[in-house]
Amino acid sequence: MSLSLNEVETLAKKAARGAGYPWGLAEEAGLATRWLWGQGIDGCQEIAGLLGMCDGSDLSGWGPRPGAHWVAQYGTLCPIAAGAALSDHARLLPDETLTLENVARPMLLAPFAALAARRLQTQIALSWLETRLTTDGETLHIQGPAGAARATVTVAKAETLNNACPKLTRANPDSDTLKCLETFAHRTYAPATQASRLNGAGAGLSDND
Amino acid sequence: MGDGPDIKRRAPDIVMRLKRLGSLHQSRLSFMRILTRRLARDAWRFEPRAFQMDRGGVGHAVYTAHGPDRAYSLVAFAHDLPDDQRSDRVIAEAWDATFTLFDGIPTAQDIARLAKNVPLQETGRVSETELTLSRANRSVRLWAHVIERLAAGLQPDPQMIESVGYLMRTTAVYGSGKFGAADRAMIADRPEMHVPFQAEMLSVYLIRWFVRDLVQHMADARGAGKTAKLAPDIARRLGIGNSTGLGMAPFLINHPVLLNNWISVREDAIAQVRALAQATPGEADVFRDIFRRAKASVAVWRSDHPIQIEKLASLRADLAALSGKLRQTNFARSHPWDHLMRWAEDTLSEEGQEFLASLILEPYGALVDHLANHMASDAPEPARIKGTMPIARVRALVRQNFGWSEDLDWSAKEHTARAWYVSEEKLEPRLGERFDEPIAAYEQPLAPARDAIAALKALKPWEDTATIAAFLLRHPEHRHIIRRVQMTRHAPYAEIRDNTIGAEVLPIDMLRAKLSFFGATHFDPRSDRWVRICMFAGAPYPDDLTDKTSDLWVYPETPA
Repeated sequence: MSLSLNEVETLAKKAARGAGYPWGLAEEAGLATRWLWGQGIDGCQEIAGLLGMCDGSDLSGWGPRPGAHWVAQYGTLCPIAAGAALSDHARLLPDETLTLENVARPMLLAPFAALAARRLQTQIALSWLETRLTTDGETLHIQGPAGAARATVTVAKAETLNNACPKLTRANPDSDTLKCLETFAHRTYAPATQASRLNGAGAGLSDND
Repeated sequence: MGDGPDIKRRAPDIVMRLKRLGSLHQSRLSFMRILTRRLARDAWRFEPRAFQMDRGGVGHAVYTAHGPDRAYSLVAFAHDLPDDQRSDRVIAEAWDATFTLFDGIPTAQDIARLAKNVPLQETGRVSETELTLSRANRSVRLWAHVIERLAAGLQPDPQMIESVGYLMRTTAVYGSGKFGAADRAMIADRPEMHVPFQAEMLSVYLIRWFVRDLVQHMADARGAGKTAKLAPDIARRLGIGNSTGLGMAPFLINHPVLLNNWISVREDAIAQVRALAQATPGEADVFRDIFRRAKASVAVWRSDHPIQIEKLASLRADLAALSGKLRQTNFARSHPWDHLMRWAEDTLSEEGQEFLASLILEPYGALVDHLANHMASDAPEPARIKGTMPIARVRALVRQNFGWSEDLDWSAKEHTARAWYVSEEKLEPRLGERFDEPIAAYEQPLAPARDAIAALKALKPWEDTATIAAFLLRHPEHRHIIRRVQMTRHAPYAEIRDNTIGAEVLPIDMLRAKLSFFGATHFDPRSDRWVRICMFAGAPYPDDLTDKTSDLWVYPETPA
């Protein structure tokens, strides 16, 4: 189904919230999903994959404890929390490489690397397994397979940027992924009660006159 | 400005109170008037391309507006809705008419696709060639009356027209990528779409034209040869009603930079006019004439809601006082507009002050109209966090925007009595009683003041020189509010300076603020959380739209 980028952003934000992320990180999840689709990458699949992995666990243990090696207390790094930290700390990034240990869905780091690249007016490269991504903030270049469930990622400033992914203005998630995100998003909706039906949106005078 | 008084924009602590936001009035910088001025100035051409309706008024129509570079088409579907299904609530599932604004001119294939989706509204899908999705219900009373009278060869009763004001009212006009429609980013760089809500306003403007034709068509079918043609002066008084529910309140809070841009543009305009050392006799005459007409509009403003009845009484008393003041005011004095505004601040209620603030802009289109170009917000929201910001600076920003609430007892029930949530049922935004309903777990982040003060507390043990990035690594739960707080660096009017979850909060104040920027008049709250308004009443229809008629239509023509 063809979705507007606004729709995927909203859906991913709600889904992340539904999976237990605090609002501020849920917003980052929405932005990251939208950004990936804008580069032609199925951001919905990435975020759905992540939420499936971390659902039900205490998310505070998935955040990074920085140093030269970023690791998570529980062993797996959340790419949203780590990505947000990467973008927040862009100015403090070391000149040499930084290692992020065992990142879930590392593709979700790309939008945050882009934010950092824009802030530093440079190119940033992310590498894991056979994959190398480069971004200058606006565009993304990918070598090797796009997705991975989990990998250790190195972050480094990069020299050049090759031909970028073609930009998209719409998202086309498959129906299973969509359903998965909608299920997470649904957890943010309060079950209707008679009180809420009557008063929540404002009872009052007739609306059929 | 020489030796005149030092005139700045009014402080956010004054402007951003809910009571004042709930007293705002339309102005030259309202989105409807910006639209009609542009349509006339750029000589847009309007063309009904299809009108395929049966005798009962069921079918579809296409009305196209041709601009200098692009065309936009209203695709309208009219339905036969049983009376018992008519509801303005978001939970409705059928409507008298449904619409989309198509980007360009639709083909037969497009129409066939839209016919399968637009009537379903939220449960259908539109695509990137559609800019808005909307629906409308008839005013049962006025619709029947107008058809009956026209079919009998008579004109409708002017008092009936006056008391209702519209033949149909929209109950939602969705844009910005909702339900599959084009994202705002896809149209934001077009000059005719850059000002906020221009696609939505154009939709409503074209809906009004379609509704006039539809009622005539149904009267023609009823009365055959003896049907009267709706008199142009009566048609012109008809607007499109609008029922607006709670959804608009979260919108204002969720788009702080946009809110800032609207308010700061209006404040800039007010400050620029106040700073004028002199008013020419011509400018004073324009103002007096429009004041007289605006008063006539207030005179016919009706509401049955106790809060609005009281506000209307204050406004009418304010206007009487203002009339007296204007008789004594010599506009040749120094800084006449600032003089009037200062007098109003000491004398009038917020309704009267804001009425005057909007009105003093009227003689100065050449000075203020261009400010409309700064009302959009094209920076992405939510914005990127500036991680290097020292904590001292964050604390200062919190205090600057939320200092008023630092001493509020946030553990007291009355300050957190309400919670905003989204209901499972049709995903409708609602406001509930936190301590009486099972909703706290579903709360939306729409209480910036409470959250900012909580963050301030968490920041307490941190060194002034530490970075906010370090804090957020430890406290991701404050990320949302820290982002908001940072946005206020360049947006002093971004935050409402009142409690949005207190026992006393009136959501209609937020609704009115937003609707006043649309250009709505005659706010008629139907409870503390939904409001009816009228749009485009008095505006010229496309066949009558010229530079002469395109701007001041919001003020009724009354004999001097």
